[in-house]
Amino acid sequence: MKISVLFFLIIVFPSSILAQTTVSGTVIDNKGRSIMGANVYLEGAYDGSTSDEKGNFSFKTSEKGSQTLNVSYISFETAKLTEDVSNMNNLKIVLREDLNSLETVTITAGSFSAGDNSKVSVLKPLDIVTTASAVGDFVGAFQTLPGTTTVAEDGRLFVRGGDAGETQIFIDGIRVFTPYTPTANNVPARGRYSPFLFDGITFSTGGYSAEFGQALSSVLLLNTIDEPTHDKTDIGIMSVGGSLGHTKKWNESSSLSLNASYINLAPYIAILPDRNTWKKPYETASGEAVFRQKIGDGLLKIYGAFETSNFELTQEDINKPEGVRFKLNNQNFYTNINYSERLNKGWSIFGGGSYTYAKTKVGIDDADIKDVENSAHFKLKLKKRFSNRFKLNFGAEQFVTDFSENYDDSNLEAKLGFNNNISVAFAEADMLFSRKLALKLGLRGEYSELFKEFTVSPRISFAYKTGKKSQLSLAYGDFFQQPDNEELKFSTQLEAQHTQHYIMNYQYSANNRIFRAEVYRKDYSNLVTYNEATPDVNSTFSNNGDGFAQGLDIFWRDNESIKNVDYWVSYSYLDTKRKYKNYPIEATPNFANTHNLSVVAKYWIDDWKSQIGFTYQYGSGRTYTDLNTPGFLQNKTKSYNSLSLNWAYLLSQQKIIYASVNNVFAFKNVNGYEYANRPDASGNFARRELLPAADQFFFIGFFWTISDNGRDNQLDNL
Amino acid sequence: MQNVLTYLSLFFTVIVMQAQTETTVSTSDTIPTPYQQGMQKAFQLWHDDKPWEAANIFERIATAEPDNWLPPYYVAQINVVNSFTEKDGTKLKAQLEKAQDFINDATAISKENPDLLVLQAQLYTAWIVYDGQQYGMAYSAKASELYNRALALAPENPRMIFAKAQWDIGSAQYFGGSIDSYCKDIQRAIDLFATFKPEGEFYPTFGKDRAKQVLAESCK
Repeated sequence: MKISVLFFLIIVFPSSILAQTTVSGTVIDNKGRSIMGANVYLEGAYDGSTSDEKGNFSFKTSEKGSQTLNVSYISFETAKLTEDVSNMNNLKIVLREDLNSLETVTITAGSFSAGDNSKVSVLKPLDIVTTASAVGDFVGAFQTLPGTTTVAEDGRLFVRGGDAGETQIFIDGIRVFTPYTPTANNVPARGRYSPFLFDGITFSTGGYSAEFGQALSSVLLLNTIDEPTHDKTDIGIMSVGGSLGHTKKWNESSSLSLNASYINLAPYIAILPDRNTWKKPYETASGEAVFRQKIGDGLLKIYGAFETSNFELTQEDINKPEGVRFKLNNQNFYTNINYSERLNKGWSIFGGGSYTYAKTKVGIDDADIKDVENSAHFKLKLKKRFSNRFKLNFGAEQFVTDFSENYDDSNLEAKLGFNNNISVAFAEADMLFSRKLALKLGLRGEYSELFKEFTVSPRISFAYKTGKKSQLSLAYGDFFQQPDNEELKFSTQLEAQHTQHYIMNYQYSANNRIFRAEVYRKDYSNLVTYNEATPDVNSTFSNNGDGFAQGLDIFWRDNESIKNVDYWVSYSYLDTKRKYKNYPIEATPNFANTHNLSVVAKYWIDDWKSQIGFTYQYGSGRTYTDLNTPGFLQNKTKSYNSLSLNWAYLLSQQKIIYASVNNVFAFKNVNGYEYANRPDASGNFARRELLPAADQFFFIGFFWTISDNGRDNQLDNL
Repeated sequence: MQNVLTYLSLFFTVIVMQAQTETTVSTSDTIPTPYQQGMQKAFQLWHDDKPWEAANIFERIATAEPDNWLPPYYVAQINVVNSFTEKDGTKLKAQLEKAQDFINDATAISKENPDLLVLQAQLYTAWIVYDGQQYGMAYSAKASELYNRALALAPENPRMIFAKAQWDIGSAQYFGGSIDSYCKDIQRAIDLFATFKPEGEFYPTFGKDRAKQVLAESCK
């Protein structure tokens, strides 16, 4: 065969066989080290070679004139050289490291990412659902991370001395206005959304991107799954209700997931009564639908969720021996539509909007309060990737809120409400100077129509790789947030509240172990103050409050040292004081404490086909005002302790039994004290402990997935 | 959970440890084109245990033949195969990302191609082996779906029948299910291999020996 080739070539291209050119040279990296195994070739031709151990290459070609030489090697940027072939000898080709590859520095100050492919994955999606204390609530899992405070009776996220309203939740970059289920006093709220809808979650405890605003302390970013893998049906039967889900996929371009659940706590409370007197135990029905459609290179996602819940109970109250009647009826609808597409030349576009309708009817004794919130958020964002080293991100967004409240009791009838529109523009640049040094510069401008106020927030973060496995990040930012609905409904003669964050973060990660330490300082200003115990239309409101929070957060996760055991430990130290609302002096608020510790462990027992896990949470005492001694928020409760256990047993590949117990040892935790309005005959104010509705919570469920491939199960839904 | 997945995925590790190194040499007397020469040279290098040089040639051919899915398919195949023995995590990730790039290129040329679907499934398996806890949940379901789709597209192709049967055996063994039907599938694949004709020159043909080995080891 060789002969015939040669023969053919000589006949057809006599000149070329005689006039071959040699291309030769050396391939090195930017530190002068030779690269072996690089692929060196003329573009579009078959001629080429592989560099040897000294980086040398040499090959003959019959190509003529100007040609492009390609030099590529794994985890380096491909070098191209266009020149006349006759000059391509003794070349020195320097390859630059590809900054897109995984060992590049990333900015980690303030943020925890939980995602499949995240570079700084601290929690993985599966962790969120298998954390013992969380009972399937995505918010519960984040409460085991540093920077959060244990406020057990509330259930929402309290971050670094901020109250729950200072943390905002976003789905696919679009704001969720009412992320928590409504509850009565002392009954913890839960996140409304089931964790299995998301495959990437970022929890930022400060210093976050200019794309996000209207949050003084923290943002939680949830990204929905782009494409489900296949058709399946999920069935769940639980001690508190049931759920049914179905995902249908049509070819490669569209899919629909439907999910319905019904929860009724009546049977549970009949067996295990708690401290409340329930007239109508908690009942909720919810439905969710996600539709995804690929359109060319674009992806359209439509998400909708509807939930209705109601309950009625009588809660103990020290001032009312007969208790306080509390009745709630809530309807919540949320929809989120977004479209993203990768355009040409490194551009990509994202556009989306969300609409929330929330109607809550609350009855407290003889008062009826009806709140209606209509809120929307629209965002348009463009991204331009100039190179791996420079990216630009900019966009505009609009927040619209229309809130109204009707108050009605035997003495008073009132109508309250406001419209709150905020227009925003933001821009951010990502710069990578080398594999070791990254900088992010952002600017956000917000205009509030309600306050006729314009605010500008700069954001800067910086990361430097101190070693192969360690890095240091710094972040600074200004953050503004409008006062709560609860204040705006009484007065709109206010301004945005403000914080400044200063963060320094050190991270070491190697071999499935990760260590993070972060120190921060947060300065609050312009906080809302008012002059009465409970504000009303006649109260005087102003922005005279201020405060600070500073502390240290430590996180350690180890998946390697003990076989089949994965555990993490979080510790937070917090020092915070503020003057806001009706505080007479600067004080540590009752939702902040000094020390918080969480230990989460999961143990896989192969022989039992089971995963057993526990979560231990400790929180030092929280402040309360003791009316019998002078002072304000001057005393502290005893510390909080809870140990929760869970057990997931794989009955077969698609059937799982899951059981969990919260607070196994039934530690009696006291969240605070309620004092009588008037002193008794001896001048003493009587008080009552504020206890959780129940010390413990038991859960058992059976989860069955039916799919063609017979492989997946609902372990990731639990 | 990660251990189930590690177990399952380790079972599949061997599937891609062997690859196509024999070439379907054109027997006609026609003079080989540069493409044929290049492909043959690459297969020869691969056969001589120089996979990276082979991969470099496939890569060169890929740039010269932008409408042919086979060169990028083999570049990806070599990167996937060699990732199973790679100990250096950084290099391993880079290889898998490179393999993904080339699978994407090949898929852009040839859509709904069962060989590419199986290779994609093997790439997911490599990620699962690398970090079962992180990638296991998401990727085992995806891989499973890809095997189903590949088989649906080519129900009589022994390579697809075998790939899916082998994937299914692993989980059935772990959960104590019956593997009889999968063993029958493997036997059927072996029978079909006897008459298997690739669709074209340099198309993948490997798998027969491995199928016999699995049948002997798992289906005693």
